[in-house]
Amino acid sequence: MTTRHPPGSPGSAAVEFLRPRSLSQALAAKAELQDALPIAGGTDVMVEINFGKRRPAALLDLTGVRELRGWQRDGALLRVGSGVTYTRLEAELAGLLPGLAMAARTVGSPQIRNRGTIGGNLGAASPAGDCHPVLLAAGAAVEAGSVRGARLIPADAFFLGPKRSALADDELITAVLVPPAPGPQQFAKVGTRNAMVIAVCSFALELRPGAGVGTGIGSAGPTPLRARDAEDFLAAELAGSGLWESREPLPGAVARRFGELAAAAARPVDDVRGSAAYRRHALSVLARRALGWAWDSYRKEGHLCG
Amino acid sequence: MNRVEARDKVTGRARYAYEYPAHGVAYAYPVQAPVASGVVRSVDASAALAMPGVLAVLSCTDPPEIGSGDDPELAILQTTQVVYRGQLVAAVVASTLENARAAGRAVRVDCVARQHDVRLRADHPGLYTPEKVNPNFPAVTEYGDIAAGLAAAAARVDTTYTTPVEHNNPIEPHAALAVWDPGGGLTVFDSTQGPSADRDTIAKVLGLAPDRVRVVSPHVGGGFGSKGTTRPHAILAAIAARAAGRPVKVALTRQQMFELTGYRTPTIQRLQLGADARGRLTAVVHDVVEQTAIRTEFAEQAAVCTRAMYASPAMRTTHRLARLNVPPPSWMRAPGECPGMYALESAMDELAEAAGIDPVEFRIMNEPRTEPDSGLPFSSRNLVGCLREGARRFGWADRDPRPGIRREGRWLAGTGVAASTYPARRRPSRATAEASGDGFIVRIAAADIGTGARTALTRIAAETLGAPAARVRVEMGDSALPQASLAGGSMGTASWGSAVVKACEALLKNGSSGSADTAEDVRADAAFARHAFGAQFAEVLVDSATGEVRVPRLLGVFAAGRIVDETLARSQFIGGMTMGLGMALMERTGVDEWEGAFTGKDLAQYHVATCADIQDVDAVWIEEDDPHLNPVGAKGIGEIGITGTAAAIGNAVYHATGRRVRDLPITPARLLR
Amino acid sequence: MRVTLTVNGSQRTADDVWEGESLLFVLRERLALPGSKNACEQGECGSCTVLLDDVPVCACLVAAGQAAHRRVVTVEGLAPRGELGPVQQAFLEAGAVQCGFCTPGLIVQVHDLLRRTAGAGLPPPGDADIREALAGNLCRCTGYEKILDAVRLAASRLPVMP
Repeated sequence: MTTRHPPGSPGSAAVEFLRPRSLSQALAAKAELQDALPIAGGTDVMVEINFGKRRPAALLDLTGVRELRGWQRDGALLRVGSGVTYTRLEAELAGLLPGLAMAARTVGSPQIRNRGTIGGNLGAASPAGDCHPVLLAAGAAVEAGSVRGARLIPADAFFLGPKRSALADDELITAVLVPPAPGPQQFAKVGTRNAMVIAVCSFALELRPGAGVGTGIGSAGPTPLRARDAEDFLAAELAGSGLWESREPLPGAVARRFGELAAAAARPVDDVRGSAAYRRHALSVLARRALGWAWDSYRKEGHLCG
Repeated sequence: MNRVEARDKVTGRARYAYEYPAHGVAYAYPVQAPVASGVVRSVDASAALAMPGVLAVLSCTDPPEIGSGDDPELAILQTTQVVYRGQLVAAVVASTLENARAAGRAVRVDCVARQHDVRLRADHPGLYTPEKVNPNFPAVTEYGDIAAGLAAAAARVDTTYTTPVEHNNPIEPHAALAVWDPGGGLTVFDSTQGPSADRDTIAKVLGLAPDRVRVVSPHVGGGFGSKGTTRPHAILAAIAARAAGRPVKVALTRQQMFELTGYRTPTIQRLQLGADARGRLTAVVHDVVEQTAIRTEFAEQAAVCTRAMYASPAMRTTHRLARLNVPPPSWMRAPGECPGMYALESAMDELAEAAGIDPVEFRIMNEPRTEPDSGLPFSSRNLVGCLREGARRFGWADRDPRPGIRREGRWLAGTGVAASTYPARRRPSRATAEASGDGFIVRIAAADIGTGARTALTRIAAETLGAPAARVRVEMGDSALPQASLAGGSMGTASWGSAVVKACEALLKNGSSGSADTAEDVRADAAFARHAFGAQFAEVLVDSATGEVRVPRLLGVFAAGRIVDETLARSQFIGGMTMGLGMALMERTGVDEWEGAFTGKDLAQYHVATCADIQDVDAVWIEEDDPHLNPVGAKGIGEIGITGTAAAIGNAVYHATGRRVRDLPITPARLLR
Repeated sequence: MRVTLTVNGSQRTADDVWEGESLLFVLRERLALPGSKNACEQGECGSCTVLLDDVPVCACLVAAGQAAHRRVVTVEGLAPRGELGPVQQAFLEAGAVQCGFCTPGLIVQVHDLLRRTAGAGLPPPGDADIREALAGNLCRCTGYEKILDAVRLAASRLPVMP
């Protein structure tokens, strides 16, 4: 077996450790050494290195890049730097992006949430990544930076397959651009344990009063997915029946149908965490519940806009 | 009193096997077979040997010299025949751990694969009845007229329960440091539950006299049976150190532990029970199917507990094994009783319901006067007391037996009960006691794997000597100390305590020192059926739509002889119960039949209960003064806590939902299937 | 590469650090600080929890280079001059220690929980807060009850904030 960088030889200089101090340095480094592996919280990358599954040519440490570490308003959008940790999503964005804060809170343990970042979650592109369903539901876009310039990739075009994303080899995830929640957001997840679980399946929902609905499904397909039929169905029901204005209780049949359509959008497989049939069933429950909770809060809190 | 070594542990000063410094130390990394059955044709170490810091590559194609090949698991690298995936086939020795790991991954093992078989099934054509089951029980027992008993029953069940592969997963991964001295003596710092036995085994495998080997193991980060026997890593450390001419450390990774340090066999258990119209058992049949390895037989005694539990005019218990291409199963906390009581106590719940009798009362109705199978008198037996006390504390009296009717919002609520049991045995041990300055030193090659043995023995010695505990120092965890039995089988306190009491009594007579050997005492122990008993009560909530299970309450009531230290005991019971909760709801190692491999070999996929999975777990005990046990009066508490827990939870899940999941773990998918 | 960092208040330097190496490896293998335990290498058990610039993290998931020029506190640093810290004292008194392999990580994690609570002038954490905070520290021995006792005990001794 021969590779450009022989497996092992940790004592040799096969792996470089790059510590850019600015975004421009980071992008230049990534352009120069395209197989450099970006590392931020390390919660995915270090596991692969520790387990010997990966021996990258270089590690590109992004924790020293100040530009990636904050979030701020950017016109009508929020610009969340890729280096923002789950702990900060949970603590600082619970008002503006409640679904994202909820999802962040279900990630791993406090120690993991202190390190892991939204950019790292996206970069790993796992179908089970907890942020992904919310970003899909919220209509977020991923900002990919490179020395060639920045481009925006809609979240629903970002995930190409298990652990594969639309990111080019010379690009880094620099931020997520997402509108502040225009209405209630929800995130729900099923796991076999009460903490520290990879989702068996998960579901995110955003209500956009008077405007529509967003959804996201996790751990039930090769990539995170949107349930477009469910979105269209619910948007039509809410608009057609004047429910946005009346804030009447949601008919049970609507919630059920929404759940069925959400489950139908999934493309689950059997694995140790759960069977495909169970995932579909659980998704229909999660979607129905998420809708129930979101609609309740819309009714009670009189949400008009974020 | 506080745990003796707690200060060292809370400050990070306590040293575990891997952490001992050694001058010029090198590191060995195991290379494992990539097929489940086959022959190693070649081991290509050229790439590994060219890597920095690599000192040697050991391989099964060039077997290193050993002494005894009696235990095929420990006769490492002696054959090119592969009988399970993950079998040790080579190892790299290098100057640093990182170099060793990297080089280990660069070793190319070329295997000719053969057809493998890793799937345990009740109709496996190779099933056979072993001569004995662990540790030395008959595999089959039968008395009375089973057919007549079942035919005459007013209520009967014929039901099959299964348990999966479960791994001990102590938090400390197995590790060893081997240091040869110039005279050919060997010191092994090992993570072991028994320094004396570990020394004897290592010496035998290497062809050394036992007095040439010393095992040092003062602190062990949990074992739960997996460190009860010598494991291949210790032999590898010794052989690699000999090959490299330097001390060598071996630290198994979490993944490697899944194949190299034992696990609990999966079981398929068929229970046929009958009861007459008054609720008395008319027949009990417990047939167990388990797996073992190709070269090593381990026969888990899953049906043995049934022989001691309930009065019945007819009883049959059997064990059959299939030899599969799997790593050897081994001891995991309460081997036998843990899976066996899960199946028996689940089936008893089914029969109680079929008979229309409260499950607590049903068990009490079937209380035997002597041990059903042997006819021996019990040294003491307080199962009924535990059931009654538990029912009182838990609030069992008002329980509506109908399943699936208690709804709290989206949750279905239920409660369940099961009995616990574990044998109370002791083994010969030696100890010495010596007056030293204004205090005493007690020496015994016992092991504290987290149980609190060091603290319990300090208390026992202090009481015997009539001295404050602060003036007694117990030295343990070193095979150079007087020979002692294992920390296993819940026998530590009884076995070591017997020797410590005797040594201290000898000191009191002679004034300055005393020594003891309990071999004769143990041999002379009168014939009694000695068991601890308990009752476990569980309350569960099941999400009616997703099938997620929560356990808001667990209560265990135990009768385990004298409790030496309340704090230690409570934690041991609760720790066992919590592991039982994990067994009920989440613990499982996957088996990939196509690859012949265990899957999910890490703590992200092998789920053990976290702090957030527990809400209210309590353990209490009833006073039990049993004169037929040992000088300490203790029955042992390390294992009984895990027995019965999974059944209590499964029974509660049934009570909550009306669904009887008969395959562990009880996952949401299985509940909704 | 050379990595210089502050550990338990002292500046320490490790040479010949492999670039893919974890902070945990540096602490245990190069700086002779084996208090932080290595039990899963994937952030699932919490046994290697340390404070990195005052934030609890799994040292096994921090690349050594990421810790350069930063402050690390390990369990060894919580008992300066041999005096037990309040969390260590509570673990000892409550009987929250069994095999001890998860203990160092738990001590650091609880230390952080209580320090943050006291620093923010919040009331002592409730059981749900404690269980959530400790969800990433696996213990296979105790069943967690005595650990909860220890946290409650240590919390009850927190200085009362005005």
